[in-house]
Amino acid sequence: MSPERIVAVSEEPALLPDLVRVGRSVGADPSDRVVAVLLPGVPGDAADRARAAGAHEVHRLVAPASTDPHVLTSALEEVVRTLAPTLILVGSTKRGRELAGRLAGRLDLPAASGVTALRTEGGALLLDREALSGNAVATERIERRPAVLALLPGTTAPSPSVAPPGPAEDRTVAPVPPLTETVEVRAKAGGQLEIEKADRIVTIGRGLRKKEDLPLIEALARALGAEVGCTRPLAADAGWLSDDHWIGLTGHRVHPKLYVAVGVSGAVQHQVGMRSAQVVVAVNKDPNAPIFAQADYRIVGDLYQIVPALTKVFST
Amino acid sequence: MAETLRIGVAVKHGVDVTLTRADRATGRVDLAGAPRKTSDFDKNAVEEAVRLREKHGGTVTAITVGGPAAREALREALAIGADEAVLVTAESWSTWDTRAVARLLAGAYRTLGGFDLFLVGEGSTDHFGGLVGPRMAGELGIAEVASVRKVTIEGRAVLAEKDLEKEVEVVRAKFPVVLTVGQEINTPRLPTFMANLKASKKEAKVLAPPDVGLAPDSLAPVVVVEKVAVPEIPRKQVALAGASAEEIAKGLREALRAEGLVP
Ligand SMILES: Cc1cc2nc3c(=O)[nH]c(=O)nc-3n(C[C@H](O)[C@H](O)[C@H](O)COP(=O)(O)OP(=O)(O)OC[C@H]3O[C@@H](n4cnc5c(N)ncnc54)[C@H](O)[C@@H]3O)c2cc1C
Ligand SMILES: Nc1ncnc2c1ncn2[C@@H]1O[C@H](COP(=O)(O)O)[C@@H](O)[C@H]1O
Repeated sequence: MSPERIVAVSEEPALLPDLVRVGRSVGADPSDRVVAVLLPGVPGDAADRARAAGAHEVHRLVAPASTDPHVLTSALEEVVRTLAPTLILVGSTKRGRELAGRLAGRLDLPAASGVTALRTEGGALLLDREALSGNAVATERIERRPAVLALLPGTTAPSPSVAPPGPAEDRTVAPVPPLTETVEVRAKAGGQLEIEKADRIVTIGRGLRKKEDLPLIEALARALGAEVGCTRPLAADAGWLSDDHWIGLTGHRVHPKLYVAVGVSGAVQHQVGMRSAQVVVAVNKDPNAPIFAQADYRIVGDLYQIVPALTKVFST
Repeated sequence: MAETLRIGVAVKHGVDVTLTRADRATGRVDLAGAPRKTSDFDKNAVEEAVRLREKHGGTVTAITVGGPAAREALREALAIGADEAVLVTAESWSTWDTRAVARLLAGAYRTLGGFDLFLVGEGSTDHFGGLVGPRMAGELGIAEVASVRKVTIEGRAVLAEKDLEKEVEVVRAKFPVVLTVGQEINTPRLPTFMANLKASKKEAKVLAPPDVGLAPDSLAPVVVVEKVAVPEIPRKQVALAGASAEEIAKGLREALRAEGLVP
């Protein structure tokens, strides 16, 4: 079995340390190497953080910063040619999936996204990924290398005890003309909340009749010391809450100790976002709502009566 | 004469995730016989393609890769308003992975003479990989814009709004370009009775892998699914009832105290 040479790409710098840790857990043999690759324009402290997470080498790509997928994948193609990795890891973010797919298409490599666990067996990669809209976990095998895998944010491994020292290496990449041009970048409304890190969440769904009733939910969240989450329709269709509150397949995956779902039916695409909550409380007026099958504590009732009572009891 | 707009759309006939059930004893899901339906975002893709054609003229060609039942996805695309339908198929279709699908779509793209715009779902309802569109664009060496929520055509280029986690990036891309779209881009129309009837009468063009320049053995999967299982998450399922909302609330407080979650 030849040694693993794992490249972790900084398409989302905040995820790079986790990619490095997972890389180290996969390439645990002393002859294996984990190389962090910083795309052009990535802040300098990413190199230190990749080192601290256990990267054996850090390569900083030197070229004008760009978000054009063709420019970025061309740079990664050069990385693949020169570093000859056995595995390329990116974050399973929107941009990460785009890069993974495009790179895999350019070089005809095996690829998978939404990966939540990764191990080797002999020379093969075995991975778990979300399947069936998050309803299920698929275990998939990849024999051919290198492979490109996009790891779901939150996927991590313990830090190796020895952080290998050494400076970052600069690596100039040949410029290619972009295929797309960025005209404007607008920050999204909200965007401050990091709901995936919240310890307690009160999530509201379409059981809420109107936006003006949101303070009802916010009061309960305050009483519990919780953040407010929501289902897709409230963010995407109604726009009552910004996207950073949105939980589920197309929103955020959360891992709180306490998850209170209010007026949420519990569609599979929502469940995938809250499945790893420790304790789930559901309030719904429909005793047959699917969310109840995912609940530790079930309250059948009208949220307009239950929520104020909960707020009162938890405030005192 | 102005060049007419050629739009392609990829539609998948995937597993209906709301109807799949795991075997109680093993927790495994048998996908072979699972009920299927047209992938949700692909209907948004067809709708967007049809709206662009309604505005700018041209043609919309829907392409699916799959087995005989995938004709249903084509029928739905035609009912929404696609002009042409193409089925790429072979006996071995059920073994095809994302790579094979992207290669076949790229092959069909070339065989059919190329498209100005090619719309793909941002993720399929069952697989939700989000790799097919970028993979196909990479294979063809053409531009792509993923996660598009708004698109306008300006001459021989698109202006597309790319919806990222924390920002919206407005991107201009010259034709040809692959766009991946999500649910937020539009609300697909409900086809009329007549549109459905007309769609079910229209024949799809059928292409085999060699027709699109691919030897069947070049499509063997490189990512092999070993099993699909539904993880069992034990939940206590305690029903909290009481004579009043306040009594129920107190019951929950006791329960959460016992869990060590509230003082
Ligand atoms: C590809 C795809 C991706 C998706 N991604 C996501 C995602 O990331 N996140 C997500 O949430 N959804 C997602 N969805 C949508 C998902 O399928 C559901 O439509 C959505 O989760 C439903 O939201 P809801 O529970 O708020 O609304 P509903 O399903 O309408 O449920 C409302 C619930 O409120 C209850 N209710 C009504 N009035 C009251 C009252 N007075 N008191 C108490 N209870 C009341 C009702 O009984 C009902 O159960 C996705 C769908 C698709 C196809
Ligand atoms: N078998 C298929 N036939 C046609 N298009 C497909 C097929 N599989 C995936 N696609 C397209 O690729 C998109 C993303 O799929 P996925 O990468 O599986 O999430 C889908 O929304 C479709 O537009």
